[in-house]
Amino acid sequence: MSIALDQVTKRYQEQPVVNDVSIEIGEGEFFVLLGPSGSGKSTLLRAIAGLTGIDHGRISLHGRDVTHVRARDRGVGLVFQNYALFRHMTVADNIEFALRVRRMRAADRRARRKELLKLVALEGMDERLPGQLSGGQQQRVAVARALAHKPQVLLLDEPFGALDAKIREELRRTIRSVQRELGIATVLVTHDQEEAFALADTIGVMNHGRLLEVGNPNDLYTQPATRFVATFLGAANLLLARQSADGIRFGATPVNAEGPERVPAGREHEVVAVLRPEEVEIAGAREHLSSNYIAKGAVEEIVFTGALERLRVRLLDEPSAAMLLGPGGANDARLEVTRTQPERRDLPLQTGAQVALGARRLHVLPTPLSSFLACAPTEAAAAALANEPLLAQLSTNMKTRVVLRSIAQGPEVTGSPLPFTGVAAISAGPDAAKTVEWLLRNGANEVLVLPRNAPSPTRVFIHWTHEAARRATLAVSASLLRHVSAEAIYLGIVPEGPPGAGHAAPMRALLDARSEAQSSHGLEMRTELAIGETVSELTRTLSSGAAQMLVLGITDIEHAGTAYRSLLAAQPGWPVLLVYRSGEPQLRAEAAA
Amino acid sequence: MKTMRREPNVIPGFGITLGFTTFFLCAIVLLPLSALVLKAAGMDFARFVDVITSPRALASYRLSFGAALVAACVNMVFGFALAWTLVRYDFPGRKFIDAVIDMPFALPTAVSGIALTTVFAGNGWIGQYLEPLGIQVAYTWIGITVALTLIGMPFVVRTVQPAILEVQRDLEDAAETLGAGRFYVFRRIIVPTVLPALLTGFTLAFARAVGEYGSVIFIAGNMPMKTEITPLLIVIRLEEFDYAGAAALGCVMLAISFVMLLAINLIQVWGRRRMMVSR
Repeated sequence: MSIALDQVTKRYQEQPVVNDVSIEIGEGEFFVLLGPSGSGKSTLLRAIAGLTGIDHGRISLHGRDVTHVRARDRGVGLVFQNYALFRHMTVADNIEFALRVRRMRAADRRARRKELLKLVALEGMDERLPGQLSGGQQQRVAVARALAHKPQVLLLDEPFGALDAKIREELRRTIRSVQRELGIATVLVTHDQEEAFALADTIGVMNHGRLLEVGNPNDLYTQPATRFVATFLGAANLLLARQSADGIRFGATPVNAEGPERVPAGREHEVVAVLRPEEVEIAGAREHLSSNYIAKGAVEEIVFTGALERLRVRLLDEPSAAMLLGPGGANDARLEVTRTQPERRDLPLQTGAQVALGARRLHVLPTPLSSFLACAPTEAAAAALANEPLLAQLSTNMKTRVVLRSIAQGPEVTGSPLPFTGVAAISAGPDAAKTVEWLLRNGANEVLVLPRNAPSPTRVFIHWTHEAARRATLAVSASLLRHVSAEAIYLGIVPEGPPGAGHAAPMRALLDARSEAQSSHGLEMRTELAIGETVSELTRTLSSGAAQMLVLGITDIEHAGTAYRSLLAAQPGWPVLLVYRSGEPQLRAEAAA
Repeated sequence: MKTMRREPNVIPGFGITLGFTTFFLCAIVLLPLSALVLKAAGMDFARFVDVITSPRALASYRLSFGAALVAACVNMVFGFALAWTLVRYDFPGRKFIDAVIDMPFALPTAVSGIALTTVFAGNGWIGQYLEPLGIQVAYTWIGITVALTLIGMPFVVRTVQPAILEVQRDLEDAAETLGAGRFYVFRRIIVPTVLPALLTGFTLAFARAVGEYGSVIFIAGNMPMKTEITPLLIVIRLEEFDYAGAAALGCVMLAISFVMLLAINLIQVWGRRRMMVSR
């Protein structure tokens, strides 16, 4: 491994900006860290270079642990967005800087400089000052300078940011060929997905300080695991679909796609599906579609972009239209479609045209959190609940919708026994436990219990009462933690036993949980162990700090009403996300596997 | 000039503004200076040379320029440190210190001179501790230097501050990843980048110190040949109604000021060429 990061965490004022990131980058690999601004990618790069200290974790370069080694002794080459050339020095002096520091002989320095200038195609520019060069040339000098001391690792921080499109492409090619020629492990930070696709062997996508997914460009584009990656890498339509034992339906029509987990008969899950604009088929009528029909639509906007035509289509069938997720909620959601020139010639369209839409390929995300259902006694209370800061933040970050539903709370819970899909949200209080029980009985799988004005959590504790709920709880936690910047901590609780009773088994469970979270769900979490009774230990841990949250996996509905009553009623309280999976079918499935 | 294009400008009326500028320059600057030179030209050359090379005059030049040079050097070092602290660090009271820097600009120089004398006199707050150590500040050239340092400080800080702001952290980071230690970065990256501004600040502080009068006369003691600065000598000549002599000394000051201003401009031109900003 050229670069290995192990659970690297960096906080600014308690907020983690880089959150438990682990990466392994191989010999000669070109790794692109992709993310929006503020996602922590540049901080991570600076941490690798040694310019920023880290609060937790380890960094090693070529097997040498450099966590506590100063930047100047790490042997990395760093290229900045604004070139950071020494403006009072000539090109030659800039490139020879690292060699001069190392007291290399003048003749050797000159030879190395000539070699580097040839590499970046700037021969004969030795005596120019940076101010006399164009932006592209300056960045070439910066690359040559960063390579002068033969670093083991090359780091590039948005190196093309300040350049215009043509020069950007040219420089991109230069950097790629230099990197290939030297076979040097390289990390490039960018927010430009096109750049990432053009350069990367491997892409790592970051958001909110977390590394969400790592993979080769093609896999990440066709099979993203998270909605952030799906929408950040290229354009994507997000749809809510229903998965039951029979298969997946979008609105009323069955679609051809695979779901992430098997669903027991009689229960239904809501899933999030990704439909790329180029995978949408448009035809004049349903019969002419060669792919799965999804809905009727009306063309609202046509934009010609050269090679492609971009369309925005409003869905007309009522049930399907509500299942399309848009950036501002379901109301203004439109299906994005791109067509190639041949497709356009076959069926010329004007705005206002009515068309039939089909999905050539639909990818179902493995995320268990699809949408939210705010449940309260009145419509107004449900709307207030939907505006709770945490719920509003989650639904915005998840680009999903919040549906309002009125149910009578109290000792006797009543409401339409429609199947509950998505995550049900209710407000915390003395009756919360009863409501939770009723919701779980009527088909809800996840219930978020929200105290009033609960802040966005900085620490999320994860616990499950029965091993059967482990998988689902981890999946839900991983999905949740991609949308809030908080630390994840698994809390193992061991009942108090006679002295000498072995703690080996719980410790093993703790480690297993951590490695499963990491390998199957891409979730980095820390672990803590408490000894005592479950509810009182959970209460104690949650009260130990501000802005904490609990994800609790349960298998027993009976239990929910009584055992967790105090946990859900506490004031001021903390948000609790209950994850319910009925024990037996899961266990049977696991035994069969 | 036929080729001159008329482009809309923020301030209209090239003719008016140029005329106004020229008039202003003549009335306020050139006219009094010409009068000065004319007055000096009124005496014959031998006497002129005699006046400006008298031992008392020479001693005053030495003191004026020597003390000003020492003060400007002190200012260059500490002004840089002060500017660096103000730009690079955020600490409680930073804004306050930043405002205090400008105080010598606004304070009547006589006031600062009296204040310094009070503090550094043999029985003053600081003077009483320095005296037993054999260091006499007030009424010696040290006192003069202290006064000139006070006067010149804001010039250095205010010229160097923007230059330090321009030294991007990235430059230091880049140098560090290339293997340079802190002192190396300071010597090879920071100092060369800030140097033109530092020299400008130095020259401004020096020029100001040479011409300073108000604050110095209180702390200097004004003993002929020992602690008498050239501006004071000019005033003494005036009080003796020796206008020609005063004018002659004034001409020497004028010539020196001119040379120094020329030097400032040359440094700035040199600096611009070195640091060509075209991103």
